[in-house]
Amino acid sequence: MTHIVNERVMVLLALFLVGGGLYAATFGQIYSSTETAQSPVFFPRIILALWMLLALAALVQAVRAPSDTAPVTSWPRLIVLLLAAVTYTNVIGREGFFLPSVVFAAISLPIFGIRNPLVVGLYAVAVPGALVLFFNHLLGMPLPVSRFTYLF
Amino acid sequence: MLSSLPDALAILLTVEGLLVLVMGTVLGIVLGAMPGIGSTVAVAMVLPFTLTMGQAPAILLLLAVYAGSVYGGSIAAILINTPGTPQSAATCLDGYPMAQRGEAGLALGWATVASVIGGLVSAIVLIFAAPQLAAFALEFGPIETFALILLGMTCIVSVSTGSVIKGLLAGMIGIFLSTVGGDPIIGEMRFTFGQWQLFAGFNLLAVVIGVFALSEVLMRASTALSQTSELVDFKGIVLPKLAMWKGRLKNLGKSVLIGNLVGVLPGTGAATAAFISYAEGRRSSSNGANYGTGEPDGIVSSEAANNAVTGGALVPTMALGIPGDAITAVMLATLTLHGITPGPKLVEDNPTLIAAIFTGFFIINLLLLPLGLILSRVAAPILRVREAYMMTAIVLLCAVGVYFVRGNPFDLLVMGAAGVVGFVLRRQGFPMAPLVIGMVLGPTLEITLRQGLILTDGSFAAFFVGHPIALVLGLTALVALLLPLLRHQLARRPSRQNQE
Amino acid sequence: MNIKTFSGIVASVVIATSAGAEDAFPERPINLIAPFNAGGGTDLLLRGLAPHFAEAIGGDAFVSNMAGGSGTVAASALQGQRADGYQLGYFSITVSTIQPQIKNVPYDVDSWTPICSVAASPTLLFTNADTPYMTAADVVEAATANPGELVYGSSGPGAMTHLTTVAAFAGLGILDKLKHLPFQGSGPAVKELTSGTIQFFGDTEILMSRGDFRPLMVFNSERLESYPDVPTATEVGIEAPLNELYLWGGLFAPAGLDPAVTSKLEAACETAVSSAGFQEFAANSGTVINFRGAEAFDTFFRQQYEANGALIEAAGL
Repeated sequence: MTHIVNERVMVLLALFLVGGGLYAATFGQIYSSTETAQSPVFFPRIILALWMLLALAALVQAVRAPSDTAPVTSWPRLIVLLLAAVTYTNVIGREGFFLPSVVFAAISLPIFGIRNPLVVGLYAVAVPGALVLFFNHLLGMPLPVSRFTYLF
Repeated sequence: MLSSLPDALAILLTVEGLLVLVMGTVLGIVLGAMPGIGSTVAVAMVLPFTLTMGQAPAILLLLAVYAGSVYGGSIAAILINTPGTPQSAATCLDGYPMAQRGEAGLALGWATVASVIGGLVSAIVLIFAAPQLAAFALEFGPIETFALILLGMTCIVSVSTGSVIKGLLAGMIGIFLSTVGGDPIIGEMRFTFGQWQLFAGFNLLAVVIGVFALSEVLMRASTALSQTSELVDFKGIVLPKLAMWKGRLKNLGKSVLIGNLVGVLPGTGAATAAFISYAEGRRSSSNGANYGTGEPDGIVSSEAANNAVTGGALVPTMALGIPGDAITAVMLATLTLHGITPGPKLVEDNPTLIAAIFTGFFIINLLLLPLGLILSRVAAPILRVREAYMMTAIVLLCAVGVYFVRGNPFDLLVMGAAGVVGFVLRRQGFPMAPLVIGMVLGPTLEITLRQGLILTDGSFAAFFVGHPIALVLGLTALVALLLPLLRHQLARRPSRQNQE
Repeated sequence: MNIKTFSGIVASVVIATSAGAEDAFPERPINLIAPFNAGGGTDLLLRGLAPHFAEAIGGDAFVSNMAGGSGTVAASALQGQRADGYQLGYFSITVSTIQPQIKNVPYDVDSWTPICSVAASPTLLFTNADTPYMTAADVVEAATANPGELVYGSSGPGAMTHLTTVAAFAGLGILDKLKHLPFQGSGPAVKELTSGTIQFFGDTEILMSRGDFRPLMVFNSERLESYPDVPTATEVGIEAPLNELYLWGGLFAPAGLDPAVTSKLEAACETAVSSAGFQEFAANSGTVINFRGAEAFDTFFRQQYEANGALIEAAGL
């Protein structure tokens, strides 16, 4: 059972399903033209069909010749960084560049093994601060700013 | 053109002229070397300064930053496996394994020499053969371009380290991502599900930086903490000795040629050239079998070609007034701003200016070598910081770089998602270079295919009947696709027992 | 729609309660948004205007870029912002009047407070100099004789280049006798015009002068000084509203801007556009200046929005 339900098989299965879902979605939309060259879904359908075919082939390969994925040393570390990175890239548009960057750096540095709070704090403020100073105020090419002030 | 050379040199060999060339090149290398920041952002940063400059210095500054950043991109690709631009994606295939072996300095040495030679040859070609090459570019209509892009797509097989099936699948994912947004022929929306943010599609750089740089950070977080204090063992560039070039010159020459020819064709660009050259090198070089494991020829193939594109892209720009890529489009707009009309009469009407631009471009490529050597010594201590500082800085710089590509915070979200998906796929042995090829070439493949079908009234066979160039390219693509598969099958049969 | 109206009301209430603030306007830098990439024509025009605008308003102004979706991404994003006068978009005819009628974008004719128009250039229909088509009549004859033979290009569906060719051929009644070949941007299209893959293209004078091309008609109210022999679209028999087409652009703020702030911005725009520095810039870059104040621009914009509906229908978009 562990041979079949492993990370590799799950990823490939997910890929196959996403490809299939997108292929199905091309039939749900109505376009003004269905003539080959004019149809917006003509080209994506070819690509998605190949996608599904290849995902299926890879899936069969993975089931027939199971192999292990590289082990993760520490899942908590990885998951915290992953969530931090996704949240970080999501909030810059609303909260500006500086504040989310400070928070992200304060999370990321300890994950990579820097424990000294002084060093973390200094880096987390200085590096994003320098970037904001450089782009927003020296170059006049501003990064997104927070809701509190247009200065950072 | 040559008769204007003295006047051109009089413009270049002034304090202002030299300062622009040196400063621009330095800035380009430094910005290009930063993970996440590529040519587009580097050029956008200096653009405001060009508005108050004279014609020649303005264009030369843009050119210096452009050429410098294309070269600088190889530094981040080789040292930390985080290419900031698609054109360096092929460089890390062999550059990073070399760096991991402790030969980072030498890997950069190969990249530097290949870049300089690629750039210099393209400058010479530009000076002497621009009109002829421009005429060649005009031979490439939609159908010929389609065949060329099809040939480029076959590179996916060559850069699929590990599994060809997974490489092809990654390629399809890349092509699919490029179809999201407005349809190029009738303008209706595809796969946007009502979200206006998606109307503009997925940005190529946001995806590239996500799947390479951000996923690299996640990959490192999934392994044990690095115990050594140094991230990379790098003390500066080590130039390859002359004897080491034995047997590699043919590959170098071929790569430069590919870069020049692809660069001349509008709508293709440096990434296409680097990948085609890499695939060709892998097929024909005597060291081809080692590609992907840290083979210097792999670095040479990619770097010589992508730097040769910078000169090639100037050919249609200067000879026809048609930009070869996004950066040359900025140069044309800058020329317009200075009251110069780009077009077929540009060279005729402004011989001194054009001579100054072409000669300046030659000098910029000469400068890459000493400036690269000096900057690498200066930068070496910075690169020796602990992994934590570097990884955190990479994420911040990627956010900055991606934001400035289009000024759209939505692209950051795309980068984050691409980073996570890239990480999940890389863990399963999916190569990421094919995904980039798919996304780079996808839009051109689709539009030229459909344009061709409009022109031939829907007959795909007619693509190859009246178009000899397309026929040759199409057949080459077929051979390129089938040959490695056949070879793979033949090689696999006896060793099957050993593999499984 | 309801939400939009509601937020408009909220915005005006917020501004009304903070009355008096406009005396101090501007208190911080004004962001001029170019809806295309840095280094493009729109971006450079705005960068040419920005220093003069800053001087006229007595504050600071900078240009930022937000590219994508033929300019609709920037317009969609700006539409959702608070109307405080610190964020202005430079939108062209296509971004403000064409795209919202062909795409499901979150903005329409009522989403804006027009501030001023800056530039407007008439477009021309042209062909390569080595083709046998000397006049519009030649084109009609050739297209009628061999339907489906001739090809016109554009820089993309719904772009100004597309609408120009559609206005010409729909006006002449031969639209269905030619093929349309869209490209990704003007560059590749002009290349194919040079090499002969396409025979016709439409754009402004500045772009046409980049190649060896022959103009067939100009979508202007009168003949151009630089091309006195080229007939206007009206002269070749094209009727309104397809006979005049200008690539115009101007500054827009989100709807519901305080009138006091609007008039400040409008005055600054007028001073900036008429400044010697910007006039010189325009002469160098081939920009045709066309200033309209807030009220005149508002009327013009709404009238264009209506008129371009006919064009969109003709183009089948």
